[in-house]
Amino acid sequence: MKYEIWRMAMENVANKSTLSNARDSFGEMVRVYGSLGAFARSNLTIVWIGLLLLVWFFNPIKALPFPGEVLHAFRRMWSADGSQGLLYNVYVTLKLNIVGLGYAAIISLAIAYLSVIPLFQPVNKMVQWLRYIPIVGFNLVFLTLFTIGWPMKVAMLTTGMSFFLVTSMTGVIASIPRMKYELAKVLGYNDWQVFYSVIVRPTLPTMIDMIAQNAAIGWVMITAIETYNRTEGGIGSQIYGYSSTNNLAEVYAYLLIIGVIAVLEDWLFILIKRLMFPYSLIAERA
Amino acid sequence: MDDQSGCLPGPLAEQPLMLEALLCVENVSKEFPMNDGETFVALRDFSLTIRDIEHKPQIVSLLGPSGAGKTTALRIIAALDRPTSGQVQITDGASQKLRPVRVGDVGVVFQRYPLFEDLKVIDNLIKPAVSSGIPAKEAKEKALCFLDEFDLVRQGLSWPLQLSGGQRQRVAILQQLMQNRHFIILDEPFSGLDPVNIISVINLINRIAHQHTLNTFIIITHDVTSALVISDHVYLLGRKRDEKGEPIPGSSVMKEYDLIAEGLAYRPDIEDLPRFAELRKEIRLTEFPRL
Repeated sequence: MKYEIWRMAMENVANKSTLSNARDSFGEMVRVYGSLGAFARSNLTIVWIGLLLLVWFFNPIKALPFPGEVLHAFRRMWSADGSQGLLYNVYVTLKLNIVGLGYAAIISLAIAYLSVIPLFQPVNKMVQWLRYIPIVGFNLVFLTLFTIGWPMKVAMLTTGMSFFLVTSMTGVIASIPRMKYELAKVLGYNDWQVFYSVIVRPTLPTMIDMIAQNAAIGWVMITAIETYNRTEGGIGSQIYGYSSTNNLAEVYAYLLIIGVIAVLEDWLFILIKRLMFPYSLIAERA
Repeated sequence: MDDQSGCLPGPLAEQPLMLEALLCVENVSKEFPMNDGETFVALRDFSLTIRDIEHKPQIVSLLGPSGAGKTTALRIIAALDRPTSGQVQITDGASQKLRPVRVGDVGVVFQRYPLFEDLKVIDNLIKPAVSSGIPAKEAKEKALCFLDEFDLVRQGLSWPLQLSGGQRQRVAILQQLMQNRHFIILDEPFSGLDPVNIISVINLINRIAHQHTLNTFIIITHDVTSALVISDHVYLLGRKRDEKGEPIPGSSVMKEYDLIAEGLAYRPDIEDLPRFAELRKEIRLTEFPRL
């Protein structure tokens, strides 16, 4: 009887799509992470945030605005109109972040995966070398190629992030053990099947990790790029403006917002990874 | 599974007939260029022939110490590497002509039992089989039979990372068997196992091998006892010596032990036989130090 139940369950799995497999495993993920472990982790995070706030309240560095000043800055920015408003500027930057990260992820995945074909390896190497060059150095090139404003900002962010993403992603592909390729070959896989089953499919969760890690570099670039393209506003443009007028409370308010968005983005990537690739959770625990 | 071609474990009433060659390794040499411009010779004139044994599967062991070229031999037999000279030939079945081996003709169960970690156990069996052209329905049915037969039903929905070492080994072997092929190389299947687990692996290999008379298992090992217990033929791999007693670069088959002729093959009580103890002692104390 037990065997029949397992057999039926396995027949179902054999007929299911990857998406429904992911849904099944979401239950397992919730079970594991919804336990005391998560409670303990949350408490630890609260303790650390408390400690940081304590240091902030009693900090001896005069250049660092106190929490009350930053809170007032939030209120001022919230009630400001139009292009000076908090929501507007966060929206502009977040949109740039998402679009730039999306393009960079797609382009970098293509360049990294194509690196297994010898013809494309020099392109991959060149892109990796370019990560040493500051992206703002290409300002004029981007200005010539794209219209100033939104297209130029997206192009700059996409290009800048791709240099780093390609490097990390190529490293992931290079670390696939030779035995995995050979296993696929002895199982009779053709080159395309090897490419998909050994190179693409199993590395996708790690690629999501790479995108999440490089999203942080993206935030550093965004502020620089928005400083050079201030026509549409955005957090970078605001930080530049407030810094030059010595309104440090506003600057730190925006830095806090970047920190919160970045943490939420990180969580989102982890959630996407675990929903789409449930075995990655097992791999993390292993 | 083709029940018609299955065979029973245990000794045969009379000496089995050795039929035509199923796999033939002819004068294979393998050299690797070194960084200093020199050449490293891994294999030199390595030859062996595995013949079809009437009513029995073929289980042979390539026995040798570390560095004797066993893995190089494995890679060449499985067509994962090309030999510098010589060739490996294989048949497509009984009474078929020998032809050069191609990648995929010989299954390999690698040492650490790699599996597709992003596929559940059942999919690790079904998907590679379907990719190699087996109809999905047939592959599914076969996979379910295998899981049931080899006590893996409960692990069918697990991810490979959730399996124990023994379960992983079974899945890795079954994955190769799903391909409708009869030639399988097992790389160090007894490595790192305690005596109890070695016995269960020997029983497992015997059980799987006896599912078809054409099943041909080549076991790469340095474990003398296990090789003698499980095999019908044992090939000692090592380096020959020149007149001064210096080893000549490149390993080859130094000695072949026909355990069928010795009356040791297919014997569950093999370890109780005096000849087994003699042979083990001879290999361990006399042959191994010379390899």
